Amino acid sequence: MKHLPKHLQPRWRYLAVELESWPGESIGRRAFQRECWYAAQNLLGDPGSARADMTVIKFECTGKTGEAIVRVRRGETDPARAALSCIDEIDGAPVGISVCGISGTIRAAEEKYLGRREQDSKERNVVFGNEERVAVVQECVADVRLDEAFVGATDLDCDLV
Amino acid sequence: MYEAVHAHPDGQSTVARFAKTAADYGFEGVVVRNHADSRAEYDADRISEAYGIDVVSGLEIRATNPQEAGGSVGNYRSSKTILALHGGTNALNRFAVENEKLDVLTHPMADRGDVNHVLVKAAVENGVRLEFNLSGVLRKSGGQRVRVIQSLRKLKEIVDYYDAPYVVSADPTSHLELRGPRELQAVGEQLGFSSEFITEGLTEWQRLAERNRRIQSESFIEPGVERGRYEEQR
Repeated sequence: MKHLPKHLQPRWRYLAVELESWPGESIGRRAFQRECWYAAQNLLGDPGSARADMTVIKFECTGKTGEAIVRVRRGETDPARAALSCIDEIDGAPVGISVCGISGTIRAAEEKYLGRREQDSKERNVVFGNEERVAVVQECVADVRLDEAFVGATDLDCDLV
Repeated sequence: MYEAVHAHPDGQSTVARFAKTAADYGFEGVVVRNHADSRAEYDADRISEAYGIDVVSGLEIRATNPQEAGGSVGNYRSSKTILALHGGTNALNRFAVENEKLDVLTHPMADRGDVNHVLVKAAVENGVRLEFNLSGVLRKSGGQRVRVIQSLRKLKEIVDYYDAPYVVSADPTSHLELRGPRELQAVGEQLGFSSEFITEGLTEWQRLAERNRRIQSESFIEPGVERGRYEEQR
């Protein structure tokens, strides 16, 4: 079909989103898109979800942190932000999610808000609570592996061995 | 705007990690409100210096009956800046709002607890803040979430009518559950709470912390009487 004339094309806003999870969990693009839709439907209902029209445009997840750009209709950014913040799990993996900025173009969203976090993480032995543990260290934050679960810590809590 | 958190060992992240994440999200402070049986060990000054965010010591008393809770209030009031009570049953809610030594009654509508005009009037009289706990909205789904939202709306109607003091929190137990102030405002808007209402509730933690620090400081003797600077005797 012939595309719409410019003045009838929808106006979009692009939300730059940062994701975080525990080490060892991997989040897929499709899973994130599905959670976005579910969250929007559960919080905003079908009409609200259709109005916001949340679509994952770009998604990148390496290790425990990820970045995404979510496209929403102009004027619906606040409901979309609310729906995004109600995502607490993706495929059973607990996630932390924050919208770090909103732009009118994908390029501006990327350049202004994304790619600021250091991506590489490595396993180190650390002393946490007087015991030696394995931790996944990234910049100055460390996720320390206890017996079954992880504990989120920073360089103030643990000493590198 | 402050957020009140459950840190390791009560939750899954240490106080420092909470402080770092909260600072990134734009909070001005965190209130550590671990339950009495799993208190966190941390160096508040070092953390607040490292991340540029205020760290307030607090405690959430969890008790099975008012007598036990009364003992805990006496034990912890002088050492903690913010003292909260884990609400949720009618007896404990009643105890909390009638006790002016308590600062906050947390999640009064959780489990099978309920709030009515009598409790809210008592809360106004004793200056006990009622908590709007958004954790159920953010992390539950289906019928449970519907009931949580219903109870929050009921609480808001009564709090609005009596102009009662309140606080707002997402009640995170790990840095992943933390949400920024703008996210909480957006969720509040969807629930029918204005963003000013949410901001006010997040700022109330800060006001509480400032007030209690002043009261607990050495220069404070009683309301209206403070130790100031005096002329040296010659």
